[in-house]
Amino acid sequence: MTARHRSWLTAALAIWALAPIALLLVRALVPSWRYPLLIPDSPALGVLWSADGRRLASAFGTSVALACLTGPVSAVLGFVIARGVARAGTSTRAFATAAALFPVIAPPIALGVGLQVVALQARVSGTLGGVWLAHLVPATGYLTLFAIGVLTAFDVSIEDEARTLGASRWQVLSRVTVPMLGPRLIEGIVLGGLVSWGQLAVSLVIGGGLVRTLPVELLALVRSGNDQHGALAALLLTLPPALALGVLQLGTRRTGAAL
Amino acid sequence: MIAPPHGLALIDGRIPFGSGNGLEGITLAVSRGERLVLVGPSGVGKTSVLRAMAGLGALASGQILVDGADVTFAPPDARGIVYMHQTPSLFPHLSVIDNVAFPLEVRGLSRATARGHARALLDRVQLSPLADRRPDSLSGGQRHRVALARALAARPAALLLDEPFSSLDPSLRAEVRQSVLDLLADRSGPAVVLVTHDVDEAAVLADRVAVLLDRRIAQMGSPTEVLGAPRSVAIARFLGLTNVMHGHRDHQGQIECPLGRLSVPGPAGPVDLVCRPGAVRARPWCDDDRGLTGVVTAVVERVSGRMVVVRMHDQDVLASSVDARVTVRTQVSLDVEPVAVHVFESAT
Repeated sequence: MTARHRSWLTAALAIWALAPIALLLVRALVPSWRYPLLIPDSPALGVLWSADGRRLASAFGTSVALACLTGPVSAVLGFVIARGVARAGTSTRAFATAAALFPVIAPPIALGVGLQVVALQARVSGTLGGVWLAHLVPATGYLTLFAIGVLTAFDVSIEDEARTLGASRWQVLSRVTVPMLGPRLIEGIVLGGLVSWGQLAVSLVIGGGLVRTLPVELLALVRSGNDQHGALAALLLTLPPALALGVLQLGTRRTGAAL
Repeated sequence: MIAPPHGLALIDGRIPFGSGNGLEGITLAVSRGERLVLVGPSGVGKTSVLRAMAGLGALASGQILVDGADVTFAPPDARGIVYMHQTPSLFPHLSVIDNVAFPLEVRGLSRATARGHARALLDRVQLSPLADRRPDSLSGGQRHRVALARALAARPAALLLDEPFSSLDPSLRAEVRQSVLDLLADRSGPAVVLVTHDVDEAAVLADRVAVLLDRRIAQMGSPTEVLGAPRSVAIARFLGLTNVMHGHRDHQGQIECPLGRLSVPGPAGPVDLVCRPGAVRARPWCDDDRGLTGVVTAVVERVSGRMVVVRMHDQDVLASSVDARVTVRTQVSLDVEPVAVHVFESAT
């Protein structure tokens, strides 16, 4: 492939990735853009301060809070489970991997209905805590699979040697394992947060309409025909993943670690 | 065996290993400042012995003593035994000096004090100028020296080195081996158990050699004792005495074998004779030779020298030969060092 071909390919990929976002941006900021107008009306930021805009802001806050709670907790759970799995026998490892994979590959709506049974029993259905606990299920599944991959490449002999050098289990964890896995842990936290960020079916079923996350609000706006606010919600929904990708890429470039 | 009051002892250890019955009756005792080299073929369980002593591997039964104290059930960080993996496991997120200071910091020393001690140790391994570098910027030899300095920073009663030179290329081995000898020259230093499958390395490094074969310690003694007088054909073969011949001893103690007639007293019957290839030298046969003769069937070029396979009396003998006239199908005369031939009663 020549340099010219590569440039064309890069440009095509950039358009492929950015065109939908650009369209969302236009749709979110202009009141209308109907046939036969070639260009849309002039943008109006009033959409942000309307009643629906304020609802969106509240849903955005709820989703951020859920993602910020789910990311670290699912990362810790995922790494702890993966650690146990790594030290287990082959059959246990296969079973644990399958168990971690299930909430990832199960249809979200089926997972939501299943979790709703538990949430009702635990009297957390319709609460933010209930939705958070439900988000932890798929997020921990993803994180366990991610951590199994990370820990497979981690040389445990370094921990063994640290123990014989006089470090207690806690000191090995705090001074050796966590600092060494630091970049991977941060990636895991971001991944866990993103899994929570995109949950719709689980939030809808467990939240029961009382907990309004951004995807839930987006669905409501689209169903009511409010395309402008719907586009704004979709734009807000794509923002954190894009931001996370950029930050992780930056970290990769700085540390040389693989994304 | 009596455990030394200062040093390391493993008494009657039964160590699970692989899918079989594991190692049994393993007893090793090493005084402080002494270097015991555990040799054995690859996969015989040498690493399992070290890991069991360090508390990192299973010990089904037996006792481990460090400076006379029973540490059999103590956690690895409370045994006073440092285990060094064959590839130096330096902490990649710490600088060289912080790696060496690590054992001191985890014992509660302040960072400044620990770094001071670490710098002194780095001076001993001539790596002070690299103190602030990251481990990934060091060469293989430098990493080994840092790992050794870090191990000594822990002031262990015993130091276990698992194939410490196996990951180094031959040109670096001698350099790192010398560093190890220099650092461990102090007779008040730790008891050292070093594992290798390289007999030459064992001969250079060891005060005593223990041969691990067939799930047990087959022989233990000074390098001269073990290398000079192996106790069995299996040990001899492992030690590189690869010339194994068969003969028969009569009631007068005369042995008839491919090497001619040897006089070694012992019970009459079949015997096995073992010697290293270098103990037999081949030279071109000439008319007035009345000694041992044979025909060369193969020539083997080795780093240690040119070897030839000589067929005599239906048995093959590996001999050294520097004479270029000795080639395949030539008839040769053999000169043998009788003292280098070890005789064992044949098992069959």
